[in-house]
Amino acid sequence: MKTLEYLRDYPDLFWPACLAAVALALLCSMLSVLVVLKRMAFIGQGISHAGFGGIGLAAVFGLASASLSPGATIAQFVVVLAFCIASALGVGILSSPQKQGETHEDTAIGIVLVLSMAIGSVLVGIYSPRFQWESFLFGYLLNTGWADAWVAVGVSAGVLGALFWARRPLAFWAFDPRAAEAFGVRTGAVRVLLLVLLAVATVTAMRLAGVVLASALLILPGAASLKLSSRFGVVMGLSVACAVAGVLAGLVLSFETNWPPGPSIVFALTAVYLASSVAGRVAAAPTVEGVVR
Amino acid sequence: MGIDPQHELHPPGFAAAVEYRGVSFAYSARAADGPSVPVLSDVTLSVSHRERLGILGPNGGGKSTLLKLTLGLLKPTRGTIRVLGREPSAARAEGLVAYVPQKSGAEPAFPISARQAVLQAATLHLPPWKRTDAESFRRAEWALSLVGASEYADRHAGSLSGGQLQRVWIARALANRPRLLLLDEPTVGIDPAGQQQFSDLLARLRNEMDLTILVVSHDLRTVAAGCDRVACLARTLHFHDAPGGLTPAVLAEVFRHDVSAIFGDVHIDAHRAVECSHHHAPAGSAGGDREGGKAP
Repeated sequence: MKTLEYLRDYPDLFWPACLAAVALALLCSMLSVLVVLKRMAFIGQGISHAGFGGIGLAAVFGLASASLSPGATIAQFVVVLAFCIASALGVGILSSPQKQGETHEDTAIGIVLVLSMAIGSVLVGIYSPRFQWESFLFGYLLNTGWADAWVAVGVSAGVLGALFWARRPLAFWAFDPRAAEAFGVRTGAVRVLLLVLLAVATVTAMRLAGVVLASALLILPGAASLKLSSRFGVVMGLSVACAVAGVLAGLVLSFETNWPPGPSIVFALTAVYLASSVAGRVAAAPTVEGVVR
Repeated sequence: MGIDPQHELHPPGFAAAVEYRGVSFAYSARAADGPSVPVLSDVTLSVSHRERLGILGPNGGGKSTLLKLTLGLLKPTRGTIRVLGREPSAARAEGLVAYVPQKSGAEPAFPISARQAVLQAATLHLPPWKRTDAESFRRAEWALSLVGASEYADRHAGSLSGGQLQRVWIARALANRPRLLLLDEPTVGIDPAGQQQFSDLLARLRNEMDLTILVVSHDLRTVAAGCDRVACLARTLHFHDAPGGLTPAVLAEVFRHDVSAIFGDVHIDAHRAVECSHHHAPAGSAGGDREGGKAP
């Protein structure tokens, strides 16, 4: 089996990719349940495209050249992350439910998305005209070094910690925002928190694994796990399991076939989703109304 | 069932559970829509402890606005409101007030059981590092059994009927042992048998808890069957001791409609000031617990 040979013979090439992929799976899978339930799939797209604007801003500081030192790489990541968080907050403010004449969230995302891309293309054109977009936006998991992998682990731990800290108001708001407000949940703050966590997760995943894989990890595990259980805690656990299983299966597929890792993981996650749909349908048939009584 | 000691807070010198003094409210209109239209004007009303007050009025008569003011989600344009002797928002922040909105904003696909939905409210005050404690479980069970929802507590909330969900929402509101319960159109979409069960439930809550209840509805049956007093609200207030005191003439004036139509779905123009006549009834007075004023 090629997978085992690679992991044994080239540890510094393949282990960081595996570690980063599992960290990204943990990071995105819990958020993905909320993304699916709150119909926020488009926000991931918006935030990842805000990365264009972020790179534009990085170019202003000379952080968009082809070969960067490790320190500059981290600085570039921080600049892009800050820009994407600002974009997420912009979406949150534009579409705040408290404001009169509310703008729908998808409208707000569309506005921020195109504005970011315009800013990015102008700034990069001025400050770093030879910048290769692909290297940033369509990151390649097997280029992940140990430093990147540990950054992913750290970010993942931070986001999961924040989710744990806010789990009660967050789940209440996700289930029933109107009642949550009446019960004293600061719904505006909870929403902003979720937008910021999504921005952090999207940028981290995009940086290492590309826009497509970031979207896949923020949608498919949640969609799959919601087919399997009607208990929130169980769904969260299943989402993590689906994501980790999909990512590992995708990496094995990639190693065995020499396909690129991103698409391989997307195939594996989609397979997990389809299997969950079938399993959920088979299991649900007798239980939903009949047996549970 | 006993009451939380932390909720035994009666500041000296206040008698009413809720006190409205000359309350007016207008939504600030956008310039294009012309001047703002008053939704409530000069509402003065006091609700006694452990009273069940029904507020009857046509759609658009300001009932939901009155509840939002009572919760402190809106601020009155003029006048003052005291809830258990406090600012409305302070009373809500202290967990003294619970509210069951007219339309549930709940996401039906959300993976949650009725019991978990009640636990969400019961555990909201816990610090993040604490696990759900036995006390929260106990409160949730107590609230579910009080409203008679125990038997379907483990079912997925999205699979429950409208009447069952209504009970779950009331249980959720009661889980933190509030002192004031606000119900907005609690019987919309519920069949007649469910309405009878609802008025039985209000009677049971009154007997088992130290709870003041405000029920807002456009449906005479809802307020007549379960309440001690009924106020009629169509921008301003008409007030009556007992459901039996609601005469066809008063109802016709409030609803601007033939009374016989009140038993159907009421959609009437409420932009009309009616004079405010208002007098108090002592707490817990008046009969009409169930069948009291069903036939004005």
